[in-house]
Amino acid sequence: MIPTGYYVALAGVLFALGVIGVLTRRNALVVFMSVELMLNSANLAIVAFANARQDTAGQILVFFTIVVAAAEVAVGLALLVQIFRTKRTTDVDEINLLKG
Amino acid sequence: MELVLFAITALVAIVGAVAMLLSSNAIHSALFLLLNFCAIAVLYLLLNAPFLFAIQLIIYAGAIIVLFLFAVMLLGAERAEDERDTIAWQRPVALVMGLILAAQVAYVVLTGTPAPAGGQDAAFGAPERIARELFTTYLLPFEVTAMLILAALVGVVVLHIREKRQVS
Amino acid sequence: MPSWLIWLIPAFPLLGFLINILFVRNGRAAGLLACAAVALSFVASLAAIAMLAGTPEEARRITSTLWEWISIGQFRVPFGLLFDPLTAVMTLLVTGVGGLIHVYSLGYMREDERPVRYFANLNLFVFAMLMLVMADNMLLLFLGWEGVGLCSFLLIGHYFDRRSVPPGLVPSDAAVKAFVVNRVGDAAFLLAIMAIFSQLGSLSFYANEALGIAGYLEQAAMSGFTQVDLGIFGTIGVATAIGLLLLIGVAGKSAQFPLYTWLTDAMAGPTPVSALIHAATMVTAGVYLIARNHTVFEASPTAAGWVVAVGLITAALGALAAVPQFDIKRVLAYSTISQLGYMVTAVGLGAYVGGMFHLLTHGLFKALLFLAAGAVIHALHDVQDMRRMGGLRERMPQTFRLYAVGALALAGIFPLAGFWSKDEIIAYAWFSVQNPGAAIILMLSAAVTAFYMGRQLALIFAGRPREAGHVEHAHDPEPVMSIPLWILAAGALIGGVMNLPGLHWLSTFLEPTLQEPEVVFDTGRIIGQVILALVTTLLSVGGLYLGWTLYGRRFASRIRVGRDDPLQHYLGDIWRGAEIGWGLDWIYNRLVVRPYREISVFLWDIFDRQGIDQILVEGPARLIGRAGQVLRVGQSGYVRNYALVFLIGVVLVVGYFALLS
Repeated sequence: MIPTGYYVALAGVLFALGVIGVLTRRNALVVFMSVELMLNSANLAIVAFANARQDTAGQILVFFTIVVAAAEVAVGLALLVQIFRTKRTTDVDEINLLKG
Repeated sequence: MELVLFAITALVAIVGAVAMLLSSNAIHSALFLLLNFCAIAVLYLLLNAPFLFAIQLIIYAGAIIVLFLFAVMLLGAERAEDERDTIAWQRPVALVMGLILAAQVAYVVLTGTPAPAGGQDAAFGAPERIARELFTTYLLPFEVTAMLILAALVGVVVLHIREKRQVS
Repeated sequence: MPSWLIWLIPAFPLLGFLINILFVRNGRAAGLLACAAVALSFVASLAAIAMLAGTPEEARRITSTLWEWISIGQFRVPFGLLFDPLTAVMTLLVTGVGGLIHVYSLGYMREDERPVRYFANLNLFVFAMLMLVMADNMLLLFLGWEGVGLCSFLLIGHYFDRRSVPPGLVPSDAAVKAFVVNRVGDAAFLLAIMAIFSQLGSLSFYANEALGIAGYLEQAAMSGFTQVDLGIFGTIGVATAIGLLLLIGVAGKSAQFPLYTWLTDAMAGPTPVSALIHAATMVTAGVYLIARNHTVFEASPTAAGWVVAVGLITAALGALAAVPQFDIKRVLAYSTISQLGYMVTAVGLGAYVGGMFHLLTHGLFKALLFLAAGAVIHALHDVQDMRRMGGLRERMPQTFRLYAVGALALAGIFPLAGFWSKDEIIAYAWFSVQNPGAAIILMLSAAVTAFYMGRQLALIFAGRPREAGHVEHAHDPEPVMSIPLWILAAGALIGGVMNLPGLHWLSTFLEPTLQEPEVVFDTGRIIGQVILALVTTLLSVGGLYLGWTLYGRRFASRIRVGRDDPLQHYLGDIWRGAEIGWGLDWIYNRLVVRPYREISVFLWDIFDRQGIDQILVEGPARLIGRAGQVLRVGQSGYVRNYALVFLIGVVLVVGYFALLS
């Protein structure tokens, strides 16, 4: 048996990597990918805990999460395409209308 | 034995993630992400979740990565970003914060009390078990999720409708 | 005849005021209405005196209460009038001389821009003055007191839109000064009222049977020895306290030292106003007040002593200050101050009848002098500097004669009215109260008075005109102005008969109210009085002659505008000091006015504008603005930046939970 902690630690590392990706990269699509990475790391943690507690609810939760994530990616990419088609760039820093 | 498998898979996952971050070409990033997803799927298998293993591969590795690739190609986004960073302190602070976060998680994992262990269940993770739960206890979320997908579908279509007047 | 008829006396002028101020637009109509109102009031006064004659001597008083004005527990004040001999005398003076001045004003104010306002205020003044002298309690008297102060303010400031009026006064400032200086006296007056009520139990002069209110004057007579404890300040007699407080009030209203600074500035008002208010009536209210409250002063020799001191100082300083003045009205203003000093000294010594006698004669000849001066000013088109006059004797013969009558009366030349009244006071001081010091000061002041009147007559009328252009067109005043003058002159000539030694008609008339002991004329006294009379006459004639010849002949050529008076050469600084009214204005300016202004400016600029407005009001506003500017930096507009901030927050929260749980 691999201790649950290892899985959770791995999930933590992947999550941190995802966060760094969101904050550091300027290509909008890579940012989006990093977000997916974060989602996945969370899913991993939940499945690890579900396994430790032998609770099926955890796996079902992850199932739903994956489905919703798929839908979200679809809509998100549609939005991204709309925004960046007009601007002819994929740099998130160009979206700065909120600049005060 | 399991430990070795876990170690290799974990390593692959991390390498994939790091490579995704560091690669300058967006297509390469997507493919590295695919690698990462596959590694995670294997980890699900190790965690007695064969159903999720399959779902992960089908949806994430199969559909989502494809969507990403399509989007990248549609926008022509594979080229690198220019070096100049608009906010100087963004990168360093982000790295530091990320490391701190990872350290915090590690700390909690190592020093925290472990979750209470459930009993040994031979049929845990089996598809029948999941199917039964899904269609009885969690039927409502199931149906709602279906509607959610429908909504997403309609939304995406609406986002791309062009007015008749505009030159398409 | 019913007693409420005495209400008609003040009612007519009040009606005149109301109708004028509310309905009348035409200046001529306003003037005629005002004159009619005062004339009717005069007739009513005569009728009231006739009624008075029908009452027995022990109760020679007509009272009429309209309603109970204030009733709070023990504090009860009626709204009522009384009419006794003292009041009668004052009422006749106010309505009689006032009426003549009203008629004079018809001519003098003909070209004025605001005649309706003038006549309305004049009527209001007469009403207030009548309320003052007819009130049957101190509070109603105070109402009249304040009323005349208000009207004085309104009338001095009649030319409020003029920046300056000869000899360099600002009318609105002069009006405010009059009011403020009066206020000092009024504050003391209020304290006196409070003292009277708290120590003597009532504010009514005499008992009011109808309402069951006791009178306090009788009580005052017996309160001479009652002491009031003032804590760390020791004790003071009741009568003394009341008397001193009343004295301060009198000093304000009757322009005694050291509150006389307002009267000279009050000359900024129209000349008929100066004649009525500042010679004959308002300023004499103080003398009336003391006479009415004579029991208080009889019960307190200390207070009476102070009254005499103040009166003597004023008589002397006023007379001396009148000598160097160049403005025609200023001479008369200081002269009034000095003569008021005579009256106050008289009532302080106990010569109430003497004081009232002088009040009456002074009212007559001072009004005459002021109105005649007005005729001169009017004829020369608002020239008031005597250095620019001269030689008006030929051009304005009537005026010269009238003015001379007034001057001789003021100087106390036998047999004009002033001689009798002044002499009575001096004789009383010398013989009845054995105060030769007071008598001598009064006699010397009389000499100075004669001198400055001689000087004034010479400067205006004698010699040749110093400024040819103006004087050429001067002429005697028209009948509407000269007839009142002749009437007043007649009064000044024969007014002495009111109280000739031996006949003493006025004393007898006033005896029921003032209860002054009869003068015993033994041989010694008669001889003494005749000698005294000769001495004073000598002094007066001497002074008059000196003034007339010095300024009529010897210095005549050296009088020019802009050059100093020739006598200044001999008297130097004393002359200068007298000219500025002994520096009282300067002292008040430094001691009171300037610090007050500084405080006001400080409060306005530093405290209000800078302190409150800038620090308290704009401060927070600017602070918020700055804070906003600072916080604005955080709104970079970049999504990644916002996400980073999220992350920092998440790390902190997770760290908190990780470390603490």
